[in-house]
Amino acid sequence: MKDRKVVCRCEDLTEEEIIHAIELGYDDLESLKRFTGATTGPCQGKGCLMHVIRILSQKTGKSVDEIGVTTQRQPVNPVPLYILAAKKGDEE
Amino acid sequence: MKVAVIGGGVAGLSAAYFLAKSGVDVKVFEQKYLLYGASGRNSGGLTLQFNNEPLIRLAKRTLELYDSIQSEVGFNFLLRKDGYVKIASERDEAKLKEEVEFQRRNGVNVELVEPEFVRVLFPDINTSAFSVASYFADGGVVFPWPVVWGLAKGCRELGVEVYDYTPANVELKGNELIVKANGESYKVDYVINAAGAWSNEISKQVGVELGNKVYKEEICVTESLKPYVDPYVMDISTGVYFSQSMRGEIVGGILGSETTTLETKASLDFLTSYAKRITELVPKLRGMAILRQWAGLYDVGRNGMPVIGETKVKGFIQLNGFGRHGMSLALAAGEGVAELIMKGRSSIIEPFKP
Repeated sequence: MKDRKVVCRCEDLTEEEIIHAIELGYDDLESLKRFTGATTGPCQGKGCLMHVIRILSQKTGKSVDEIGVTTQRQPVNPVPLYILAAKKGDEE
Repeated sequence: MKVAVIGGGVAGLSAAYFLAKSGVDVKVFEQKYLLYGASGRNSGGLTLQFNNEPLIRLAKRTLELYDSIQSEVGFNFLLRKDGYVKIASERDEAKLKEEVEFQRRNGVNVELVEPEFVRVLFPDINTSAFSVASYFADGGVVFPWPVVWGLAKGCRELGVEVYDYTPANVELKGNELIVKANGESYKVDYVINAAGAWSNEISKQVGVELGNKVYKEEICVTESLKPYVDPYVMDISTGVYFSQSMRGEIVGGILGSETTTLETKASLDFLTSYAKRITELVPKLRGMAILRQWAGLYDVGRNGMPVIGETKVKGFIQLNGFGRHGMSLALAAGEGVAELIMKGRSSIIEPFKP
């Protein structure tokens, strides 16, 4: 267990699991994200995206530029519903 | 026999899967990555609560197919049948009542229930925010991502080539259908147009006017909670819906509206409207934070019905226009198209012919 290299803490993914997914054929960033769940947890990729890109680059030989990044989805940081609900109310 | 499927979503992959089972040589062309279209962006609601008989039949068969396909392909679709609830305000009470009566006459085990009944299913719901509900116990939620991965895996194991990041164009030369992709030309016996929101463009390439309407719909998810929301809840009066994914997020959205541009930008307007409505419906969610939001595109056929079947161009088959109900309908539609190609007809898709 001490060899476990955790890449994505939110979804509890190790480097080995990412590599396994790449070997199964999920070898572009969008597919890898959607197969493993990496970058879709509470951190939204802030903690794991660069690691995932590094591993993908090392495994496939593609450059970081070729791999690209996933679509950055709003909000930048999590926003509670009551704040969003109040904003709409204020406008009306 | 050679078949080309345009679009690697649930509909196209289902058709490819059933054709490959019959030994047909199939290629699937997806313009972007698998899950780029509506099959990868929806909320996964599964129900039979439709208001016409052919749709109910298609949805019934689709529910059966989820069970059989996920064991055949060895992939967990994260499907749970914890019920699908439609709720309505007073002004839509008659409409919902009529719908329930129709569905019951057509053998759907759906019940008209009081708000109090819904509160037993989901204790945090605000019973004063609606006046009546329709409950379908065998409905539920599926996670669309593994459905597409599982179908693609099943297809590949049967020898289907599934090409992602491969835009394809269809050409009609005399009576011959030719698909151009990867810098190559493939002469095929059938082309299945399962391109979702992009189906109109594909259809135009062979001179068939399709005229599906394109809708844009937005969804967001909260941070994860331990699983506690059982049913999928759809408010037919406000268009707001939500459920809880197997990962614990509250996934919710608002019914989409027609668009003329094929873009998937997410908006703050959606987020604030959704926040307002969902916190009325489930006040306890007020403190939950939104993690991410996105938008998706789907196409709707004439009179709100899917378009499934062969066109005036021999061999060119439509398999599109599912609206926001692709997850509930498309597996059986794909199976039907495979049957149409193999046997010359398929009664389940007959009512949807172009």
